[in-house]
Formats: sequence, structure tokens, C-alpha cells
Amino acid sequence: MTRLGWKLAAAALLLALPALAGDDLQERPKTSFVTLAPVEMVQVPVGGTAPLRLRFVVGSGLHINSHKPNSDLQIPTTLKLNLPTDLGVGRVEFPAGQDLTFGFAPDVKLSVYSGEFTVTGKMSAVRTAAPGNFTVHGTLRYQACDDKLCYPPKDLDFAFNVKVVKGARRR
Amino acid sequence: MPEVLDQGTQPGGAPALQPQPSGKRNALVVLVVIAVVALMLWVGVRQSRSGSPFAGATPIMEVGKTAPDFALSTLDGQTVHLSDYRGKAVVLNFWATWCDPCKIEMPWLVDLQKQYGPQGLQVVGVAMDDSGRDAIQKFAHEMGVNYVVLQGKNAVGDAYGATGYPTTVYIDRSGKVVNKILGLVSKSEIEDNIKQSLAGGGSQTASVPAAGGK
Repeated sequence: MTRLGWKLAAAALLLALPALAGDDLQERPKTSFVTLAPVEMVQVPVGGTAPLRLRFVVGSGLHINSHKPNSDLQIPTTLKLNLPTDLGVGRVEFPAGQDLTFGFAPDVKLSVYSGEFTVTGKMSAVRTAAPGNFTVHGTLRYQACDDKLCYPPKDLDFAFNVKVVKGARRR
Repeated sequence: MPEVLDQGTQPGGAPALQPQPSGKRNALVVLVVIAVVALMLWVGVRQSRSGSPFAGATPIMEVGKTAPDFALSTLDGQTVHLSDYRGKAVVLNFWATWCDPCKIEMPWLVDLQKQYGPQGLQVVGVAMDDSGRDAIQKFAHEMGVNYVVLQGKNAVGDAYGATGYPTTVYIDRSGKVVNKILGLVSKSEIEDNIKQSLAGGGSQTASVPAAGGK
């Protein structure tokens, strides 16, 4: 390429930088207030079910709204699982929340999770499922606070392994 | 750089190599570069028209310096600039309908607006909700809010370091940031910061009279 071509290319890159940067000159901090404890591989027989336990850990000093908070205005904790075609999950159950009150407002009762909480369910594999390994992706949506400050809702993306195995023969 | 050669044919069908002028290739490169630049400038113009609350790049608030000016909408759709309140002490309070500590301090802000409004205080609530305008308006009405409420944008929250709510920024009459508090504090601490903001910055005339309730 000629010198003129290189100069034009350099000028183009310099002009393009502001458009590329836009308003996001600073990266938002990617703090996660909730983590998922390691999940043991779930072994599901073809045509059968297996228990699913997802143990979440809320950061120290923080709480998140339970699955059924006391007010419609509060953002509940929810779970979404993206399942491969041959897998299903039975009714996902959240634990009951703990009651929490603020020192500043002892009459206000919140239903929250703090420390650890476990979400349970039943994984299933259809009768026509082929044995093998699968990865299930999920998202826990939550909104965390400490006793003085509340943070915008966050998504915790996670994944765990499922192994579909041949079912026991029926006699 | 070697000349680009493309294939033609010779008598008898065998391919022949013919020289290609390098000027055509350079012109093509230049055209592609110009097209890319034009596309990026178009994207940039579109982004600037999509309603950024700032005139340029997102500023960063600093205590002791002039509060970054921004433009946001009230709940009835009017555009308000922070600088419209120059001459008043401003309490800029970032909150959300789902924030319980915010709900605890809101009645205090209502009381303080009533008490110090005649002395030049203006509380400005910035709602950082995904809830619609109607939901925010209903909530503000139920809480008896008697001060300005604006529909917030992430860029403004970012500029003021509002990583959580409530975040409260105290601005004196000259537009200088006096203090910033992250989280709920006592009513007396809020009042102390208001007094400090009212005392600083001299007396200037605001261009917008105190508005309340919306």
C-alpha cells in the first residue's frame, strides 16, 4: 500500500476511537455478591430422575431478597436453567426466607437469604435420551443489600455437568 | 510489494499471468477505510442523539470540585439540568423503589425539604429504577415526596459513583460538591450536611424556582 494509503488508515483509526469508546470510558466493576458452591456431577438415568442441589453462598455482611419477598416492590431471587433438549427439571424449590429488620426501622420486615441457601429440584432425562455428558447453564438473578446500602440487581451465570446413564432394566 | 497477478487465457486454453496495476488495489483499500470511518462516525452520531445526559464524555464527580452537570427528565417529561439549581444548595439523592434503606430516609428528606426549602435547599431525587415512570410516580406520591424527582440514567449514576443506593451528594450554592455519602445515615447527619451546603458557595439566584412533588 502507498504511503498515502497508510496515512489515511492511521487517520481513520484515530477518528474511529471516540465512536468505539462511546460513553463507556470506564469499565463497571464486576463484583459478584453471590457465588455457587461446586456442583457434583448429576447422574440421571435414561427415563428417570435424579436430585439437583444448588448451594449458593451470599457474601459476608450481605443479604438478598428471598424468592418471595414481603413487598411487590422488592426484586425476588429467581433461577433460570437452560436445558438441553433431552433433559428436564422438576419443580425448582427455594427455601423459605429469613426475617430481617433494620435497626433504623424495626417495624419493616424483610424476607431474605444470607449465608448459604440451597435450591433443589429434580433433573430428568427422556426415555429416548442418549447416554452421555451434558452441560446445563443457568442464571441466578438477585438483588443484594447490606444494612445501609442496596446494590442494583445482578445475574450470576453458572454451569454444571450432567451425565445421562443407561437406566436399570425392568423385569 | 510484488505486483498482483491475475489469470487470463492464452491461445490453446492455458492460463496466462497478466500484471494488475497496484494503483487499483490501493484505491480499493482507501475506499474501504473511508467507508469504515464513515460507518463509525454515523454510529457515534446516533449514540450522541440517543439521549446521553452529558454534553461530552461521562465526567467523574469529585468532592471539592464542581458537580458534573447533566440533563434528566422529570416524571412529567420536562428536561431539567442540574445547573438550573445554581444558587441553591442541592441534595442529589440516588434511590430506587426496591431499596429499603432509601424508603427509610425519604420521609426525612421530605421533612428537611419543608424545613430548609425557604432557606434555599432543593432536594433532587434521582430514581434509578427499571420500573416505568408511572410506578415511580405512584411510589413518590405514596411517600409524600415534596421535592423534584428525576428519571435516572446509568451514566449519571456512574458519574457520581452511585454504585449502590441510597447515594447522596451534597452540593453548595456555587455548584461545588461538599460531600458524598454512600448508604443510609441518620437524619441528623443528613441535616448537618444540608447546613454545610447552605452555608457554602455564597448567594446566587437560581434560574429555576423550587419545584416539588414531581
